[in-house]
Amino acid sequence: MKAKILEEKYTAQAADPNQTIMSAYQNRVLRIYLDKQEAVVEPLRMDFAEKYVGSKGLVIRYMYEDMKPGIDPLGPDNNLYFTTGPMSGTPIPCSGKLSVAAKSPATGTMNDCSVGGHCGIRLKFAGYDMAVFHGQMDKPTYVVIEDDEITFHDASHLWGLTSHEAERELIKEYGTEYSCLSIGPAGENLNYISCINCDYYRQAGRGGIGAVMGSKKLKAILIKGTQGVKVPNIKEVTDRIVEITRTVCVCEDTDYVFDEGTYAFLEACNDGGILPAHNFSAATDIKWDTYNGAVMKKYRLGKRGCGSCALGCGNFMQVGDAIVEGPEYETTAASGPQCDIASIEHNVRFNMVVDDMGMDSISTGMTIAWAMEMAEKGIHDFGVHFGNEEEMIQMVKDMAYRRGAGAELADGVKVASEKWGGTDFAMHSKGLEFPQYEPRGSFAMANSYAVSDRGACHMRSYTPNEEVFAASVPPYTYEDKGIVLYNLGESNAIKFSCCLCDLFGTVDYPLMAELLTMITGREWTVEEMAEVGRRVLNIGRAFNQREGFTREHDIVPQRMFKDKLKGGPADGQVLTEEGFQDILDQYYEIMGWDENGCLPQELLDTL
Amino acid sequence: MATKRLKFNKALCIGCQLCAQVCSAYKEGEYIPSKARLAIETYYEDGSLKYKDDFCILCGMCMKACPFDAIDMDKGWIHVDPEKCKGCGLCAKKCPKKVVRIRDKMAYICDTCEGDPNCVKTCPHNALTFE
Repeated sequence: MKAKILEEKYTAQAADPNQTIMSAYQNRVLRIYLDKQEAVVEPLRMDFAEKYVGSKGLVIRYMYEDMKPGIDPLGPDNNLYFTTGPMSGTPIPCSGKLSVAAKSPATGTMNDCSVGGHCGIRLKFAGYDMAVFHGQMDKPTYVVIEDDEITFHDASHLWGLTSHEAERELIKEYGTEYSCLSIGPAGENLNYISCINCDYYRQAGRGGIGAVMGSKKLKAILIKGTQGVKVPNIKEVTDRIVEITRTVCVCEDTDYVFDEGTYAFLEACNDGGILPAHNFSAATDIKWDTYNGAVMKKYRLGKRGCGSCALGCGNFMQVGDAIVEGPEYETTAASGPQCDIASIEHNVRFNMVVDDMGMDSISTGMTIAWAMEMAEKGIHDFGVHFGNEEEMIQMVKDMAYRRGAGAELADGVKVASEKWGGTDFAMHSKGLEFPQYEPRGSFAMANSYAVSDRGACHMRSYTPNEEVFAASVPPYTYEDKGIVLYNLGESNAIKFSCCLCDLFGTVDYPLMAELLTMITGREWTVEEMAEVGRRVLNIGRAFNQREGFTREHDIVPQRMFKDKLKGGPADGQVLTEEGFQDILDQYYEIMGWDENGCLPQELLDTL
Repeated sequence: MATKRLKFNKALCIGCQLCAQVCSAYKEGEYIPSKARLAIETYYEDGSLKYKDDFCILCGMCMKACPFDAIDMDKGWIHVDPEKCKGCGLCAKKCPKKVVRIRDKMAYICDTCEGDPNCVKTCPHNALTFE
């Protein structure tokens, strides 16, 4: 069927003298109503685009507008959003990322994930800034978006297959010019730690986003686009973009991305005392040289980046019959040192299995590491033990299918620890498991996890950059850390709203403003980059505030305050409650929030 | 002087498709890879990383196939005469790399940007060269 176009809305927008239609956007939002099997195209809210640019910021603003507070994240009222930005589809380097967002079943907060692959640029080339899935199907379905044609297909034969099996079947039928977004058994079984896979090896990973897709009985989405993206003065603009690609983006500072990818962080984090081990008991691993970048290269078959990438972080690897693009730093740390397993073969196998099952590698690794510690402490034995590879791999599958002890772990450490105990060392904030940076070696990272809009996330305020790698501020202090937290959060918020990849580390506000000005035809200033970043932080907080989140939820597990870190440069470090609360106070004040961490009405009114 | 040709080193290709986006910008006035005059992509199939490397190798098969003498290579690249081309598609059928695009009764073929290919200037890891 052809998507129904709401002409009257476009006409109204065009007739509004206050509204300029910016270039580089498609000015089309695709709304797919699953229960009615209908698709409708409406104009993009340009007022939102001017305030939030695209991707992350834009989608949170849309969620805030579309969804009532208190809805069931796995019920029919939760929408699933796929959102590009103005840079998507242009040759601006590292602009291929797609925001995948919904309310999270794991945290109850808003949840925006950033996925690579080619789905982002293909959605834009299909002619849409955003695709929104409303409602739920009553039987397994896959949806094909091919330019203006939206079709619904029976997926009974795919339901129950792993994510990779389903993608293989679909791509065999449709062809490689389609991008495939799919879920595995974990998403079908509504696990809180399930993900959505894209083009096999890229994931919208966190917060149970796969379960939201599973709740809609949506096994897969295929996207093909043959249309274009228009910008003014395209030859001059492209000349400048190519210059930026070859000088600012691909340069000495980013060489590591093609060389090793995020594997390079292993050495940096280990040396900095923030590579977590043994379920966040230690922060260094003397065996790290058995699974580092040099070892990885022995198993690497090829390099791969996403659509519009200029860096190419992906390492396509094979160890025995385990094949995967990855594992990245996070997956390596979560499945390796956290579980006392020093084996690159295991990291690759774990990565392959979690992807295939459609599970988030960080949350899965951290949930199993917690279960291992539960057994070590004699509290409860889930059948997984530190150092045992086979038990771990088996447990991943049991979690995906909710079998035996796996059923107890399928929804992550928050749910499991509330039932079985061990909450002090259940490493999560707001129900999202910690990523792989040890806060006791980079103090403000604890606050970063605590205030992040979707629970513990390393893609918000990445404080190790300042506290450890650049060493611009001391790592084990609280003074003046609120502003560090804020500045890093603001810059990632605007960067991800442009839809730029985290690894484009050399982009700054003047360059973002220049690029946006060139492609949209609207003047963007450096000051506006900061303003948009702040607004994005605020709209995420506003969504959560409406769901009842306040200061009491901005917390980290007691281990951070009770247990001294073992080993490495940060040996013996531990956080204090007072210090942690001090940084929160500083941060709330900078944000203009009250002491309870809430936005006052006058701030809400500006969003 | 020997004719310069596009060369592709797949070990350096990350499958970003920036080449096709940039090509279409200069040739079509919008970022539209489906109309670009080359298609270099990587994808996964049956557990391996595959490469699709469709670009003009200046073999001249299109020129030989053209019944209207619309194609020449006098300057060292493909030139299609819009007055003579009828868009019959014989050149596209003969092209071994499948990079001739036929639309609106006209053949669109890579002209190496007249000896200064923009795709090569763009390729971030120099997987594409002109030599």
